[in-house]
Amino acid sequence: MTTYRLGVDIGGTFTDIVLLDPNGTLHSKKVLSTPDDYSRAIEEGVLALLQSTGIAAGDIIEFGHGTTIATNAIIERKGVTVALVTTRGFRDVLELGRFRSPRLYDISFRKPDPLVRRRLRFEVRERVGGDGSVLEPVDLAELDRIADRLVEKKVEAVAICFINSYVNAENELAAQRHLQARLPGIPVSASAQLLPQIQEYERTSTTVVNAYIRPVVERYVRSLQNRMRKIGIKVPLMIMQSSGGVLPGDQAGTNPVYVIESGPAAGVVGVQRLGRHIKFDNLMVLDMGGTTAKASLIQNGEFTIMPESEVGDAHVGHRLVQGGGYAVQVPTIDIAEVGAGGGSIAVVDAAGGFHVGPQSAGAVPGPICYNRGGEQPTVTDANLILGYLNPKALVGGELELNFEKAKAAVAALGTKLKQSATDTAYGIHLIANANMMRALSGVSSERGQDPSRYALVAMGGNGGVHAGNLADTLRIRRIIIPPVAGLFSALGLLFADVEHQVIRGFYRRMDETTPEQLNATFAPMIDEAVGLLASEGFAKPERRQIELFAEMKYVGQTWTLRIPFPGLKLDGGTNAAMAELFGQAHNQNYGYRSDNEKMQYVALKVLGRGLSDFPRVPARVKRARELIAERGERNAYYGPELGWLKTPVKPRVDLTTKPVKGPLIVEEYDTTTVVRPGWSAHLDGWNNIVMDRL
Amino acid sequence: MPINPIKRELVKNALATVADNIIVSVIRTSRTTLVKNNLDFSSSICDAKGEMVAQGLALPAHLGATMPALRYCLDYFGDDLEDGDIMANNDPYSGGSHLNDIFMFKPIFKNGERVCILALILHHSDLGGRVAGGNAADSMEIFQEGVRIPPCKIQVRGTVDPTVMRFIQYNTRIPEKTMGDVRSQIAALNAADRDLQNILADYEVGEFKAYMKALVDYTEELARASIRALPDGEVEFTEWNDDDGVGNGPIRIHLKLTVKGDRIVADYSGTSPQMGGSLHTNYWFTASLTYAGLRTIMPAGMPNNAGFYRPITIIAPEGSWVNPRFPAALGARGQGGYRIRSIILGALAKLLPGRYPACCGGSEFGLSVAGYDRAGKPFLHLEFHNMTGHGGGPDRDGQEGGPYCLGNLANTPVEYIEADSPLRIEEYSLIPDSGGPGEYRGSLGIARRYRLLAEKAVVNLRSDRHKTACWGLFGGRPGRKARSLRNPHTNAAEELPSKFVREFRKDDVFLAEMAASGGYGDPFARDPGRVLEDVIDEKVTVAHAGEAYGVVIDPARMEVDREATNSARQGAASRG
Repeated sequence: MTTYRLGVDIGGTFTDIVLLDPNGTLHSKKVLSTPDDYSRAIEEGVLALLQSTGIAAGDIIEFGHGTTIATNAIIERKGVTVALVTTRGFRDVLELGRFRSPRLYDISFRKPDPLVRRRLRFEVRERVGGDGSVLEPVDLAELDRIADRLVEKKVEAVAICFINSYVNAENELAAQRHLQARLPGIPVSASAQLLPQIQEYERTSTTVVNAYIRPVVERYVRSLQNRMRKIGIKVPLMIMQSSGGVLPGDQAGTNPVYVIESGPAAGVVGVQRLGRHIKFDNLMVLDMGGTTAKASLIQNGEFTIMPESEVGDAHVGHRLVQGGGYAVQVPTIDIAEVGAGGGSIAVVDAAGGFHVGPQSAGAVPGPICYNRGGEQPTVTDANLILGYLNPKALVGGELELNFEKAKAAVAALGTKLKQSATDTAYGIHLIANANMMRALSGVSSERGQDPSRYALVAMGGNGGVHAGNLADTLRIRRIIIPPVAGLFSALGLLFADVEHQVIRGFYRRMDETTPEQLNATFAPMIDEAVGLLASEGFAKPERRQIELFAEMKYVGQTWTLRIPFPGLKLDGGTNAAMAELFGQAHNQNYGYRSDNEKMQYVALKVLGRGLSDFPRVPARVKRARELIAERGERNAYYGPELGWLKTPVKPRVDLTTKPVKGPLIVEEYDTTTVVRPGWSAHLDGWNNIVMDRL
Repeated sequence: MPINPIKRELVKNALATVADNIIVSVIRTSRTTLVKNNLDFSSSICDAKGEMVAQGLALPAHLGATMPALRYCLDYFGDDLEDGDIMANNDPYSGGSHLNDIFMFKPIFKNGERVCILALILHHSDLGGRVAGGNAADSMEIFQEGVRIPPCKIQVRGTVDPTVMRFIQYNTRIPEKTMGDVRSQIAALNAADRDLQNILADYEVGEFKAYMKALVDYTEELARASIRALPDGEVEFTEWNDDDGVGNGPIRIHLKLTVKGDRIVADYSGTSPQMGGSLHTNYWFTASLTYAGLRTIMPAGMPNNAGFYRPITIIAPEGSWVNPRFPAALGARGQGGYRIRSIILGALAKLLPGRYPACCGGSEFGLSVAGYDRAGKPFLHLEFHNMTGHGGGPDRDGQEGGPYCLGNLANTPVEYIEADSPLRIEEYSLIPDSGGPGEYRGSLGIARRYRLLAEKAVVNLRSDRHKTACWGLFGGRPGRKARSLRNPHTNAAEELPSKFVREFRKDDVFLAEMAASGGYGDPFARDPGRVLEDVIDEKVTVAHAGEAYGVVIDPARMEVDREATNSARQGAASRG
């Protein structure tokens, strides 16, 4: 019997569905998302795919899912009525925030309003000191009065965050137990259970966001589980976390803050696992969609995890910019995002300045060439004029393109710039690249990494069109375009491991920390991780992988680096080993180390991974029924020096392991790849297009 | 050389990327709370002659001083600059701002030719002086305020100069943290140099210089276009500082703002003369903040560089409060600087009704607490909490805790303070009823209460708005003024002035009530439904609703009493 793994990735516009067999044969379907109930499109799409392929639902042995449901609930303010219980004197921490504006000189900017209004924020008498000592226990009588108010106000979820609970959660957990007992039907979230990390605003905000979307995500998870059962899929739903591992659906429902960046994380994990498989440890990932481009870095086989992010700002921001959304203190793959995609609009301003994006024509009305009402020239229109895209239609013929209309609009823009239509189109292409450079350098040179030491993996429908030029600018020598680049996130879901993180605050100077203290703190954390994995079918020890980490910094710094402990049993040599590893990491990230400075542990983490019985990444991935593009040739433009060149157009299946020289265009169902002059292209054993600079 | 607008956009993007990288590098490696959490630093890129071409994410207050501080360095060193040099300067009488801001500049070379200069300004928490933190309001001359670093090289051909480093190290109370920040500042510039070299590889030096110049010219054109779009006119606005820090005051600051064609003149004639204390803004700081305030009338996406300074003329009489003569103290100049910002925004609000809100709240609160802990180890807590929220109007209430786009300093997390210093914060909350009443209410003031856990400490406060409130507009009332209290709610309660240096003892409590924002429009025209919402949120009391808004609320049913409200409001109207 052939078994299949099912991956489903929901985007704003489309839901991507893939079925993968052990040999790497892939069946896929793209359907329009159904925002009123996202699980409906999944049920219908999966059912349709099963019917068209004749695959039986019972043959599906795994179901991985990436979803934007948590993010959307926040952006669209579709969460529930939340109350916040906090330490006396700190009722307004949530509303005061951090006083940072992401937009200098913009007098009209307002940060998002707090998710809990002042009337639903309650103070209780209790206090823990900065050193963790309990100065005053929780006033339970006062909590009882608060509980009555919560019922009266018809609160649907409760968040608790006390000052200094990251050092000692005793009071906070006592309050949680007490309130939960008084309010059996209402979920009560405590900050220390979610993530015990320093900074009261960020921790409060995280807990509130979690409480706000928890009922929504729980409802969604249940609905999706029911629909899948209904069509005969019995395997548990696993959801991608922002940090790159998958989590059982029920747990994602209880702790939805962990799955906020679910979709983008799947793509990065997919590339990382692919990289290990094809023995490429240093990769830069570019995912270029219709509205934004996302970049991330895989260094020595690992992606970078950031300790926090922001959510709820519908505008695509700069990653430095803080204050535009709600802080969420959850480990998140470091992904930089910029407003540059196929739909990004080109404009000329009052003083003759030329800009591309962040405004986007989106899917509707879309680029001018889509002929759906778009009037402003976009990056896709420029790529069409430059000959990169098929002038008649995208492969499969589903969408006919209007070349003449696009060209007229770009030419009109060029008149304002005193440039030809071709130069203007090429300018749009280059400026979109310059915007994406900000994301790429944000994850590389900003971290002291030289991009030229990395291979660029481009995905998303537009990644393969822009990768060549970007690689030239960054002095990158190799580009990899994976198969099904347009749905690679859905595929990546199937490559991830089951993963649990257990985290405890541990704010102690290294020279005041003993190995006994470390072991004593870690022991129950390891038990917790092992227990979770065992309950999910990873009962045998060899099916579990446990790793220990510390978040560390020099005393006085704020930003931490995640450092792995050398083993599971810590001894007298542990601190010295950690100091050395930290020094190396600091030097690698920031270009210097200060060995005579004191170091500080901030938090301890246990990462528990379930190892599946078969390889996560198949030996080769190939589409089951590849639509073959017409072979032929057309003129394409490669900049003022090379000009227009006659360029052969081929489907991916025509490429072999033998390199062919550019110029060459490879057309597929969901992706176009431009091999520029000066580059060669071949297929590797995994069916990736590999381009090398000559 | 003809300028291609496409290439110009590419150069702009490349420079912005480098400037941003500098900022990230500093955030991740710096030590002091002020830098790492409040983000009190700025980066920019200037051309080879010192004209600013691009900015990273930055504090508006730093930017106007970048070019003059660099000018003094370039004048001093002339041609004696080489690849790998970094210049430093913190002297307010050599183009700087106040001693705590060390400006560093790294000239960038290609093929032996200077192409441009990277600038990074960082506020260092302590560089000596008679009071920790360098922010004492009552200093009388610059010599009391810390170490003056005249234009010098802190790195020579890639090697850090140990003598300069040791001078700094021996003049700060917190050498570990300060030197950590200094190293972080140097490292960020060196890393950015490497970034920039990658970009320069694609350009001829002459070509790159031409594009930098084109970027500045292009910005000037955008700035002039936005000024031309304003109505010509002349408005005057007056603001006040409580005192000069040594008991003289209030201080009058006066502005006449003239818009004519594509030019703006900001004339501070009529401002009080130079006084004692350290709150003066030197000319460069006055200019920085004038530019920042006027930048708000220009398009958001416009590059921030020297081009937009060109249509602006600033007149600041020498020897006045906004342009004092040597050797006036300047440590707490941030205080005066906030008033420059509010005066510009006030004048713009009068010139362009319906576009600007009433005065943002805040008492420009800057606190330092310094002493020795039980182990005899020195500690220094320094924090700024300049602003409290947004002024009301023109079409909505001021946002509580709204970030101030012309200040942009983050607050300091309570948990960090308690982890790092012998202090406990007992309260950080909004003050009900404090917001300036108006049809659109000003945001509330903020209370922050500290308890000292060490045996004793020297507390230095620099703040304002005890005597003059944050103003309302078009009938809106001012926000509640600020107060400072020692040991409130005890027999020994004592009201303190807005600026002081005092010794505190263990368990002494300091309560700061920071000023609230002004309201916009007639408070009696405010929708009673909105007043009720404020009452339900306990931002406004039932009594205040009646007094300030003429809205009568039935506290038992939590409803507006429409009839009583109408008669209260009509009665007030007929009394005039």
